[in-house]
Amino acid sequence: MNVEKDKLLIDVGSTYFKVSTADSIEQHARDFNKKILDDLTQRCGKTIDRFAKEDVYICSSANGGLSTLIIGITQSFSLKYATNIAFNSGINIIDTVLYQNIEEYSIPSDLIDVVIVVGGIDSCGDIFGDDLYNYLAKLNYSNIVFVGSEQDAPMIQQNIDNVVILPNIIDSKLHIVEEDLKDYLTNLYQQDIEGKEDIKHLYDITANQIYSTPYIVNKTLPLIDGSFSVANPFILLDVGGATTDVHYSKDLVDDNIVTENEYDRLVFKKLGVYKSRPSLVFAAKNNEFVYELLMHLKVTENIFEEHSEKATKILMQVAIFLVLCKISYYRKAYINLKLLAINSIVLTGGITKVLSNEEVEDIVAFFYKKILTSEHKPTVVMDGNYDIWTLGAKGQE
Amino acid sequence: MLGNNAIMKVVTGVVGNDIHVVANRLIDLSLRARGFEVFNLGVNTYLEEFFDAVVETGAEVLLISSLNGEAEGWAREVKTLKAKYKHLDNLILMIGGNLVVGTGKAEDIVPRFKNYGFDLVCHQVDLNTGLDMLEDFIEERNSQ
Repeated sequence: MNVEKDKLLIDVGSTYFKVSTADSIEQHARDFNKKILDDLTQRCGKTIDRFAKEDVYICSSANGGLSTLIIGITQSFSLKYATNIAFNSGINIIDTVLYQNIEEYSIPSDLIDVVIVVGGIDSCGDIFGDDLYNYLAKLNYSNIVFVGSEQDAPMIQQNIDNVVILPNIIDSKLHIVEEDLKDYLTNLYQQDIEGKEDIKHLYDITANQIYSTPYIVNKTLPLIDGSFSVANPFILLDVGGATTDVHYSKDLVDDNIVTENEYDRLVFKKLGVYKSRPSLVFAAKNNEFVYELLMHLKVTENIFEEHSEKATKILMQVAIFLVLCKISYYRKAYINLKLLAINSIVLTGGITKVLSNEEVEDIVAFFYKKILTSEHKPTVVMDGNYDIWTLGAKGQE
Repeated sequence: MLGNNAIMKVVTGVVGNDIHVVANRLIDLSLRARGFEVFNLGVNTYLEEFFDAVVETGAEVLLISSLNGEAEGWAREVKTLKAKYKHLDNLILMIGGNLVVGTGKAEDIVPRFKNYGFDLVCHQVDLNTGLDMLEDFIEERNSQ
């Protein structure tokens, strides 16, 4: 696709940054000893200098997104709806807590960026009580938002400091109401990105708002089949350095969630190939099929200890396999996609620079045969030129 | 018509892989006509969703229907599943429709389903009779 002549698009990831103009796209591994702006100007200073601040558009997923813990009263409604909204707002779910068993949950030791408390339709009250406040007292968090029954809101406000009260995300027909929580979380993510010292400096080269990358990618999805030979339904895997994002068409889910969005997003925080490499290796070692996969790729598990180009390739292939496992019916999870119904798998992110089409097809075929016992072969489409990102970034102008 | 109490909430729907939507709609309309507040989960509903809807709405009654006869497979799970919820002791559990595959006698089927944990069981009973039974049950419970 063509980027307008006078625009410069920059994406700052956790491992790479990409710089796109009308006639070129460059990608550079980040130098973590330098500030992002210094790194960027040193590598691409000439390109950046050619553009006025008004014509530079930047998005970032550099800090891997915000983390959230969701406390809800049922798996099928409150927890599921809040999880869906959080993922679509670019937020990573650390854990979900079923309120009736809250005393049995261990307290996460990490700082949680935002806690979401949800449950009950507005005509149902007296849902939350002391056990919630006791749990929260032990939890380390920066923000908290209540999106449950309006009857409980005054009590929640009285007992939880600095809680933000928003309209209920469950309406009186048990349908999801997304907008208020989505806006709140998106803005929070936005503030977080802008608040990062490193990112702040990027405003020296742009006069436009810096957006989060998942937000940009999600915007592109309805336009994808206009730019690629992609047949619906499809899934999009963005395998990055810190996380792996899955964007999927809602046709692939049997769900009680009724919304206007055509596409949803899911993120696996610990399945990146650089920053979260140790947790990826851990996940791989705990998957009973990975050893067969390694045999299929003609390597041994020693590859996980290596730091070579070949090891990176294998890890990326393993990451694709693990993600497909996680979203298939093979594992009961938050979302199980009807993978036998998909016609295309689109890959974007750093992975497209490392793996060839054939290498990805090989893994996809292995997954379908081994896990789904099927010969189904969705078309693999590689977004090697970051067209998906540029399309979304352009749409943001 | 429902008595003088505050409006009672009922969660209803068709269990399992059953798409008998007309019966479901009739149950919905009849319950509303009798003054209940209805949360209709529609067809193809799984047991966990029924109980979760009860929790989210604070419903007093769960009315499960089944037409294609697969109810028995699901009903066996009811006690175990309900036990996982901490605050559903007073929930009125009702099931109705065509509850078994093939033929069966109500005198065999009703006690079997009651043993699965249902308070009210209506096998091939017409809708209004079934809802009369529900109202009688509620009245009796309220008078205790």
